[in-house]
Amino acid sequence: MIETKKHYDIPEEDVFLSGHFACPGCGEALAVRYVLNTMGPDTIAVVPPSCISIISGAQPYSSMKIPVYQTTLEASAASAAGIKRALIRQGKDHVNVLALAGDGGTYDIGFQALSGAAERNEDFVYVCLDNEGYMNTGAQKSGASPHLVNTAFTPGGKPTVKKNVVEIMAAHGIPYVATATTGFPDDLARKVAKARDMKGLRFIVVLTPCLAGWGVKDDEGVKVSRLAVDTGMWPLYEVEYGTKYTINRGPQGVPVMEYLKLQSRYRHLTPEMADELQRETDRAWELLQARATCVVSVSNAEPIP
Amino acid sequence: MSAQQTPVPTAWTTGWTTVFDTGTWRSQLPVHMWRPAPCFVSCPLGNEIPLWIRSITGGSEEDYKAAWDKVVENDPFPAIIGRVCHHPCETDCNRQALEQPVAINSLEQYLGDLALEKGWTLPPAGESQGKKVAVVGGGPAGLSCAYQLRRFGYDVTIFEARDTVGGLLKFGIPEYRLPQTVADAEIKRVLDLGIEVKAGEAIDTADKLEALRKSYDAVFLAIGAQKAKRLPYLGDDARILIGLDFLEDVSRGKDPVLGDKVAVIGGGSAAMDVARTLRRLGKTVQLIALEGRNELPAQEDEILEALEEGVSLFDGAMVASLDTSKPLMELSCKKVLLDKEALAKGEIKPIPLEGSDFKLEAHQIIVTIGQDPTLDGFDTVVATEGGMIKTNGGPAANVPGIFAGGDVATMDRYVSRAIGQGKEAARAIAAYLGHPEIVPLPDYTLDDAVARNEINPFYFPIAAREERGHTAVTKRLRSFADVKIGYSEGQALSEADRCMSCGTCVECDNCYIFCSDMAVKKAPEKEEHYIILEQYCKGCGLCAAECPRGCIIMKQESK
Repeated sequence: MIETKKHYDIPEEDVFLSGHFACPGCGEALAVRYVLNTMGPDTIAVVPPSCISIISGAQPYSSMKIPVYQTTLEASAASAAGIKRALIRQGKDHVNVLALAGDGGTYDIGFQALSGAAERNEDFVYVCLDNEGYMNTGAQKSGASPHLVNTAFTPGGKPTVKKNVVEIMAAHGIPYVATATTGFPDDLARKVAKARDMKGLRFIVVLTPCLAGWGVKDDEGVKVSRLAVDTGMWPLYEVEYGTKYTINRGPQGVPVMEYLKLQSRYRHLTPEMADELQRETDRAWELLQARATCVVSVSNAEPIP
Repeated sequence: MSAQQTPVPTAWTTGWTTVFDTGTWRSQLPVHMWRPAPCFVSCPLGNEIPLWIRSITGGSEEDYKAAWDKVVENDPFPAIIGRVCHHPCETDCNRQALEQPVAINSLEQYLGDLALEKGWTLPPAGESQGKKVAVVGGGPAGLSCAYQLRRFGYDVTIFEARDTVGGLLKFGIPEYRLPQTVADAEIKRVLDLGIEVKAGEAIDTADKLEALRKSYDAVFLAIGAQKAKRLPYLGDDARILIGLDFLEDVSRGKDPVLGDKVAVIGGGSAAMDVARTLRRLGKTVQLIALEGRNELPAQEDEILEALEEGVSLFDGAMVASLDTSKPLMELSCKKVLLDKEALAKGEIKPIPLEGSDFKLEAHQIIVTIGQDPTLDGFDTVVATEGGMIKTNGGPAANVPGIFAGGDVATMDRYVSRAIGQGKEAARAIAAYLGHPEIVPLPDYTLDDAVARNEINPFYFPIAAREERGHTAVTKRLRSFADVKIGYSEGQALSEADRCMSCGTCVECDNCYIFCSDMAVKKAPEKEEHYIILEQYCKGCGLCAAECPRGCIIMKQESK
């Protein structure tokens, strides 16, 4: 269980640089800081089209002091897998490969490559920076957009629920799957470090509030991120080998409305819709707890041969 | 393949984004700054409370000594003030946004008692300025002024009408609230700085005051308010006594001859002191106050403790007439309401309620309804106003070289206020005498202080306030033992930890941690602890929002 911190102490390498082009107060840039500065300089990053490709620098300038390969939107996982295999062949197994993709490039367009890489248990870290939509192109709906949210494609509220990418990835039985968010930077950095030091496909999905796309004040991204966790809409947890669940921080008894009301993308919600989201959140939390306490007869946390 | 060099493909990186001035996007810039905490603003002594509480959290004797050193810069009597202060600091504490105020008063008592136990000494007197000041009156205001003047390097003589200095601290506050050993030890520590005391020398005529003015470079008048208010319509039966005289007699060990049933008239702290002292002497006490239960001027904890001790409270009541013909006097009383319009103007105007008459009996009546200064003759030397010495809003009287403070100059009659005024007077006197190091202190108001909504509650988990222990009522009634039991070290540490340090940066690094532009740099050597890299800061304000304690403000910029 993560407690509130009086003092964050997060070890960082000097990889992510100032002068990048993220919006003021950007949650994604904050996440990139802790992902890159934890992965360290011995890393090659793969970035598909996304906000991250903007943040990583306007050519020919880079904000990341590591090699970055900008690949196609479909191919982050395939590119990362290929780069890692080439490194192994060259005897440079110590170099980390990191795919940094948005939710569109993960949940939707890049998904077949990711699922294939997971099935083959390719050896790299995949971090999805999830801002719940195609924010780079005007806040269109993605598979990560939550139920009832207003996007450019769903003006009355998205009729379907957010794809549960954590469970999908965990179902592949890969060594490590985790959720994180920018309001808990020490938890994020710890998970990245843990993933970095493991082998096989490691997948972390980081909820990164998009101030412009969500309609959040410039200085409230971190508060919104924390409320996502404390309302139970984004519980922080880890799944190892598809079976071993660890819940880091669940809902703290804060109603989901406290989270929703800080975002203009939920401005249209009726009380009935808000109640529905509360019920869904409660049910999802119950389900997650049930999964976390489920005991299987075969040994947990072991790779399935 | 030829050996000729392949040109760099255009898609390759040739430089870093650090060359870009993303700071030009900005319309506001964060500024780290110290800001006054509300406790500091409302402290009558000007004590910078978050600073010394933070020292306590260090947890070693050295840390406690550092905290105490900080306290005694403004208050030479932490063990006294830690017991008797009305603590407006706690009333204004921002922690109330979460649960309850920090128990600042209890922490001060802890430091004060520890200092006495360890024998810590006050910083020595300052380098001699070659000038001398007369302090008239050795009560809290006079002692505080003398202490600060010694620190500034002036020679000080206290003229005290009684046989010993201390004033209210020695003869007004009962033993169970302020043990004499504590008061004596803290007063001695101040006098040991080399303050001359002329006890038994009342300065009570214009001639004596003029003489002082001639032989000293400055005079501080802190003669208090010695003339008790009376209720003439009750007559002058010998069984009608005055509260302060009674308290002084008891503190001097005299056994006042009293019957079993005593009526006390008054609703302030002194009336509570009289009533509770009587309970300890085994008397039945009836306390009659004009104000209603929630309007009593006494401190709430004093009222509660008095009720616990069995004082019968007749609030919102007055004695209409008195029959003194029998040994047991008969008091005819009426319930009253206070006129609200008059109250708004600071006047007390009781309106009797028809048909609310009731009778009480008492062997003695002790009137404790306040005091006025005795200014006989002084008004030919200094201007007076409303029965007090007229000052310029600060401590200076209308005659150069004469200053006044404490009860003789204010209706704001709290011990802490008197000590604070003594300090202010010492500073004004030093400035008047041309001391080289005096700079005016900023005069903050609560509007300048860190507000409750500037505290980020996420960083302060709910933590219950540590309360001082209370001596059991049965034990209290058998003796004059200290009512409040001071903190243990563990209690002090856990309570100090509750202080949110409003407006004082504790280098928590949140501003550094939450900057997505890496535009906040740690700079432990600098007073504000951080540097904002203006080249990169985009002005989002996240650092200010995530500062737990309101130490960062966003300054608007125009380009």
